[in-house]
Amino acid sequence: MTWFSKFRKLPFWSWFWFLLGVLYFVLPLYATLDFSLRMERGTLSLKAYEVAFSDPQFLNTFLYSIFLAVMTIIFSIALVVPTAYWIRLRLPQARRIVEFITLMPFVVPAIILVFGLIRIYSSPFEIPFTSIVIMQPLTNFKVGTNILIIGGYTVLGLPYMYRSVDTGMRTVDVRTLTEAAQSMGANWGTIITKIILPNVRTALLSGALLTFAIVVGEVVLASFLGIPAFGPYLFLLGQHRAYEPAALAFTTFLLTWAAMGIIQMVTGGQGQAAGAH
Amino acid sequence: MAYLELNDISKLFGKTIAVENFNLQVEKGELVSFLGPSGCGKTTTLRMVAGFELPTSGKIIMAGRDVTNQSPNQRDVGMIFQSYALFPNLTVAGNVGFGLKIAKKPAEVIKKRVAEMLELIHMPDFGSRYPYQLSGGQQQRVALARALALSPDVLLLDEPLSALDAKIRVSLRSEIRSIQQELGITAIYVTHDQEEALSISDRIVVMYNGHIEQIGSPFKVYNFPETAFVASFIGTLNAFNADIIDPKTNTIQVDHIQLVTQESLGDRKVGDKIMIAIRPERLSFSSEQKKANLINCQIENITFLGSIVRIAVKSEGTHFYMDTFNNPFLELPKVGETVEITCSQQAVIILQH
Repeated sequence: MTWFSKFRKLPFWSWFWFLLGVLYFVLPLYATLDFSLRMERGTLSLKAYEVAFSDPQFLNTFLYSIFLAVMTIIFSIALVVPTAYWIRLRLPQARRIVEFITLMPFVVPAIILVFGLIRIYSSPFEIPFTSIVIMQPLTNFKVGTNILIIGGYTVLGLPYMYRSVDTGMRTVDVRTLTEAAQSMGANWGTIITKIILPNVRTALLSGALLTFAIVVGEVVLASFLGIPAFGPYLFLLGQHRAYEPAALAFTTFLLTWAAMGIIQMVTGGQGQAAGAH
Repeated sequence: MAYLELNDISKLFGKTIAVENFNLQVEKGELVSFLGPSGCGKTTTLRMVAGFELPTSGKIIMAGRDVTNQSPNQRDVGMIFQSYALFPNLTVAGNVGFGLKIAKKPAEVIKKRVAEMLELIHMPDFGSRYPYQLSGGQQQRVALARALALSPDVLLLDEPLSALDAKIRVSLRSEIRSIQQELGITAIYVTHDQEEALSISDRIVVMYNGHIEQIGSPFKVYNFPETAFVASFIGTLNAFNADIIDPKTNTIQVDHIQLVTQESLGDRKVGDKIMIAIRPERLSFSSEQKKANLINCQIENITFLGSIVRIAVKSEGTHFYMDTFNNPFLELPKVGETVEITCSQQAVIILQH
């Protein structure tokens, strides 16, 4: 046995690295919490929280971001699940191309994405070679801007959602389950909603969690598209105040985890998926 | 008109021929097995019947309907897979009732039918369990109940016992056969296990390289193989090239050994080459009464296989296997000893090609 393998067998070092990792994540969180409690000099108080919560902008922007996150998750699932399913079932040769596309948000920064969106969707859609307008610029009205930002967020969350769903599908025998359902008379819609989705539930949940976290804290897209979301609000607050942003950042952290806990509870009682065992 | 007809079915994957000119008529209530080695086209043929693959040419007629171009969910078939394919998110009852739910049957009807099916597979109390809480054998029985719940026209079984251990395989195949006979359902059973096919089938379709080699009852396929492949694939076989010595007396010669067959040699002439086969169990040690097809040989090896004892013998350059039933008082010759073995004229089978 070499000295290195002996070293690796020591539980002390396992614990050391584990605790170091925990400290790396927990210490900044603790520092934020501690700072947010010191608005009143010489004492710990919830004053920063009181001030932050009393601002109606906080709730409005936070709820708006939750709305955008939920819509993004729904749109992502509708896009990614059938795509990943079809690739696994019929088009395995397309997997590399799709994986490459889903990794694009890591290469193309959000600022490029938002300028691209504005560049394309801020002009009216015309039938080529005519001046007949078939749709007004999406940036000109609220629903249109919301569609744009949800589309943008879907792109940003794509690497996480696709990877999660694809990994989830790897744990079930998609092809045989599909054929079994087909032989019992099920159509594609039934197969996806009744068989595939419930069996990749855990994977969907992790994809949704990551998408949720991205959307709630996102600043660039929301700022440039002029969306009253939580990210830009927190950013602006941070430029003018000291303690309230820390209080809100900590609150957001708790609320995000609470929201995901609720999703877990709501979807947790519908039987176990194959991948969960 | 047969209940299920496969007329001139061919399937190509690119330039590769998976199945070619496949013709089969299956009567109602019959269980037909597709038997052959991996890659012989048996599963592809089954998948074409199920609708998961479209034939490149040919027609599939099921219960009088041309289903060749119908999608799987439009055909009235029940399918059982090697990997069970139970839906992990549904309970046993949910799985069995899935097809009925799709068919929009009333809840009461579904409940009653699920209970009937669970009774049929002797698992009446397992309705609330999930697939992961069942053994492999139990999962496959649930898959059988699920496939039968809709009373399909044809039941398709794709190597359903391959993933199970030997003992469960034997008991479950008897159970499948008795349920199939009880319900009188038409079934196609794909397997590469000859014992499985021989034990449960009304007829066996032996396939090789996308072609049908022989169709017949298990008895016929085993005892009267028509081709060299069938003879070699099913059971152990002594196969030899032989020369015709006298077509009138059906006498042939394998190396230096002269044998007489009961099968007619037809128009063949003296010196023509043929291929013959003798099953090891048709050979026995010579007694005073038996003098036909006598072979003088030396014992090479003796292998104990439980119920039978396999003896390898050599007659100059020709090697034979001979099987004899085991019993506690069996007296066997020793390795190296010279013995005389014999077989009847009926035991010498002439293979077509």
